[in-house]
Amino acid sequence: MSEVGDVLAQLDERKPRLVLNVEGHALPVTNLDKVLWPAAEGSSPLTKRDLLRYMTRVSPWLLPHLAGRPLFVTRYPDGINGKSFYQKHWDEPPDFARNISIYSSHKEGDGDYLICGNLATLLWLSQMAGLELHPWFSRIDPQPDAKGKGRKFSGSEATLDKSVLNFPDFVVVDLDPYEYSGREGKGEEPELHRRAFNRTRDLALRLRELLTGLGLQTFVKTSGRTGLHLYLPILRKFDYDAARGIAETIGRYALQQWPGEVTLEWSVERRTGKIFFDYNQNSRGKSLAAIFSPRRNALGTVSMPVAWEQLEEIYPTDFTLRTAPDLLEERGDPWAEILSAKQDLAQLLEERTA
Amino acid sequence: MPRAIWSGSISFGMVTIPVKLFGATESRDIRFNLIHATCGSKLQQKRWCPTDEVEVPWNETSRGYEFAKGQYVVLTEEDFEQLPLPSKHTIELSAFVEEQEIDPVFYEKSYYLEPAERAEKPYALLLKALEEKKLSATASITIRKKEQLCVLRPHKGTIMLETLYYPDEIRQERSSDLDRVKVSEKELGMAFTLIELLKKPFDPSEYRDTYREALAQLIEAKLEGKQVVSAPAARDTGVIDLAEALKRSVEAAKKGSKPKPPARAGTRPARRRTRKVG
Repeated sequence: MSEVGDVLAQLDERKPRLVLNVEGHALPVTNLDKVLWPAAEGSSPLTKRDLLRYMTRVSPWLLPHLAGRPLFVTRYPDGINGKSFYQKHWDEPPDFARNISIYSSHKEGDGDYLICGNLATLLWLSQMAGLELHPWFSRIDPQPDAKGKGRKFSGSEATLDKSVLNFPDFVVVDLDPYEYSGREGKGEEPELHRRAFNRTRDLALRLRELLTGLGLQTFVKTSGRTGLHLYLPILRKFDYDAARGIAETIGRYALQQWPGEVTLEWSVERRTGKIFFDYNQNSRGKSLAAIFSPRRNALGTVSMPVAWEQLEEIYPTDFTLRTAPDLLEERGDPWAEILSAKQDLAQLLEERTA
Repeated sequence: MPRAIWSGSISFGMVTIPVKLFGATESRDIRFNLIHATCGSKLQQKRWCPTDEVEVPWNETSRGYEFAKGQYVVLTEEDFEQLPLPSKHTIELSAFVEEQEIDPVFYEKSYYLEPAERAEKPYALLLKALEEKKLSATASITIRKKEQLCVLRPHKGTIMLETLYYPDEIRQERSSDLDRVKVSEKELGMAFTLIELLKKPFDPSEYRDTYREALAQLIEAKLEGKQVVSAPAARDTGVIDLAEALKRSVEAAKKGSKPKPPARAGTRPARRRTRKVG
């Protein structure tokens, strides 16, 4: 029996607590029937057992995207309507989880960061109600395009700056619609609605056309909430600051081309009615919700990769803990080849401007 | 002179001056027809009823006002004819004002007023009086079923009629906090110097629609069967510009003059914080 099938079979045992055998590691899981997503809009509640099942089923596609990347997690121990914690450091992780030491300018010293390299670690995070996964855009493995870059990450900021962890695999853009439906409470962020999403989708398609015109291949996924994430895989020749400069330049260009649609404004009030083009996540230690990551959303939506050709047919709520695994098994992961699609941005720009 | 678009009379006090109205401006934009790209035919517009799935002739149409989504109150021609339009054939002068009192935002469209046959005398009298007193006359006129506010003003030996927007058609001013912005004497001095440098009389003949000229040339070249030399579409030019801009940002990063984002640690927006934990 496959690893996935084996764990799913164990989770079928209707006990509130179990000790799972995951790839030979013993993982105690508790409160399996605790509701993390209360029933909403005609859908039944989702429990911690449902979360574990979901993570197990998507793990064959998810784990490659997390490989070698420091991982932050948002935990919701009392479910999506309760308090949450954004956790970066783990004091005593289990033996099967990998911890690495990275200098943190915030702590002004070294800190232990988690790397999720196996199913046991993923399920351990789910056991702690770690719903949202936030992996870095850089990773510790220099193969194949960052050979020669440093592999020591601790001791000082200068060491980390020179290391492979300072060179992201992607330039990322977070498109976040700030068009309100009018049903939001005071001070709340805009909720998901059809018109705002359609505008965001149209902007994403235009950006794709623009970047394709430059010979650049981009990937798109739903954020799992209201917007879209665009990833541009690049050879690791540029550090985070350069990647942010690239994203910012694209953003400024987009603002100039489509001033009625795009905003780069910092004040939330000034973003109203437009789509916020966020380039600032291109920064070491910052991240977006991972591909396949569940989000804090009543329906249990997840961040789902989409083939560009299908972007006009989908809606963010199509992809939930309930539906995403089947879709993935049926269609596969449109992002599976993202690391093989890396592009030499420097050379492409040279050719285009020659 | 093209055909008059309206004829009637100016009336004030006991005086009536028969006049004709001509448009004073015209848009020179080049107009295109929509063509079926595969066969070259000019496309026709048809009025289509989605319920009955038939094409609808004009005599079966009426005008509906959408008072709620998908719900219409229907008005017939008879309904429209009942509406009061007192100024149908007269331009009734109501007041005389100084031209500067009217903010340019109110001006909608300009027309020339010409005297009708044998009305030259009273027309010239009104023109001369307005010129001497440096005044304009406000009035109302009905053009194409719509009653409009207008102003009559003397201009180079003729009377012009300018239609005006009604006050409720002017959007509310956007509130601004510019009063609070402080500028130094020095900064203001620099601005004055710059303005002085560029100050000159307004000469409209200096300005041309270069886009229209290029478009006209392109059409001409097509007509003559010439190979149309690459006039890059705006979008293509854009791509080249973006590539240049990206190259510059990448080169700047390489040299170590790292482009700083507008907000780093310290000025992080509140939203991001809430999002990280939420």
